[in-house]
Amino acid sequence: MSAEQVVYQSPMLYRLLRDGSEALIIEVVVGGIAMSAVRVRLSDDEAAHYARAGSSYSDQLAQAITANPRFDGRAYPSPAGPSPAAG
Amino acid sequence: MDAPRRKSALALDAVYTGAQRCDHAKMRALTKPLSCVLFATLMASCAPDPPKDTPAAADQPELVQADEQPEPAAPAAAPAISTGDCDAHQAGLSTRADERAQPWGIAQHLEKNFPGMKVSWLMKEGPYQTFVVESQAAKFGRCNETGCYLFAAPTAVIEAAVESSLTGETHDPALLGQALGLPAQNFEGPLRMMTLDLAATRACVRLPDDDDPGVWKCQSEADQDCFKFGGYTSGGVPELMVIDAPVAHASIREIQ
Repeated sequence: MSAEQVVYQSPMLYRLLRDGSEALIIEVVVGGIAMSAVRVRLSDDEAAHYARAGSSYSDQLAQAITANPRFDGRAYPSPAGPSPAAG
Repeated sequence: MDAPRRKSALALDAVYTGAQRCDHAKMRALTKPLSCVLFATLMASCAPDPPKDTPAAADQPELVQADEQPEPAAPAAAPAISTGDCDAHQAGLSTRADERAQPWGIAQHLEKNFPGMKVSWLMKEGPYQTFVVESQAAKFGRCNETGCYLFAAPTAVIEAAVESSLTGETHDPALLGQALGLPAQNFEGPLRMMTLDLAATRACVRLPDDDDPGVWKCQSEADQDCFKFGGYTSGGVPELMVIDAPVAHASIREIQ
């Protein structure tokens, strides 16, 4: 069984995952003619913001990551492998 | 032969023999100062060879009479350059992008860089599986209430880059990145190359703009793979914004 669960998946090509330690991770497709995916682990503040505002906040966060895929050094490449279970 | 005709003949030779294929549009342009007969002769020579697995055909007597020479095959018509079926919202965005890009615009961009009206793009296997296959997406790209937004490049450019990166059964990410002016890490691991025929699908296309979903805004002059307005990637590859590209009409190639 996967240690990650999909919390939310958006048609804007991103999804929110919850890992085994209950942390929220956002996975975002970045790039133009060559697309890949990066992940960013949400801070406690960001996770709390998401808990309050839901997808309107995650939309903003995903947009900020596509506009700056290194995300000030917080982004890391999405691992290749089987998808986590839907949550 | 006078100078203009000689120049055309030399250029024609380069198109015809150098490229090892028949570029109808170029041949038509280059043969114009020579003669219609030359163009027709060349087009006839572009016809595919007869099937080799029909030996009986070679033994058959010619049935065509001397005064009934077959007409040379008509050249395949180039697809019409078109921005496709754009709704009012996308048409408005396209007009604004063209005004900003003046004297360039989507029509000139298509004419120059997308004469075959086919576009391609690449996606790593992981996100392809997650966001296209598993989600059973009907359209490619980032979707909101106004449409699904996808960056795409001329198929010939992507195809040439992929072919040049193949080493045996796998591709070399560094070579692919070099060919497309993007970092090698964008191409590590298995990839998918998608191709869409714009003429057949009538998908709406326009110049990409800074506000399009997925735009990576340049943070500094040193950024090499961020968005720059004008229809070209920062690596110099022509690009388009395709709206509502249908998954069902795309051909998809695996690249290991």
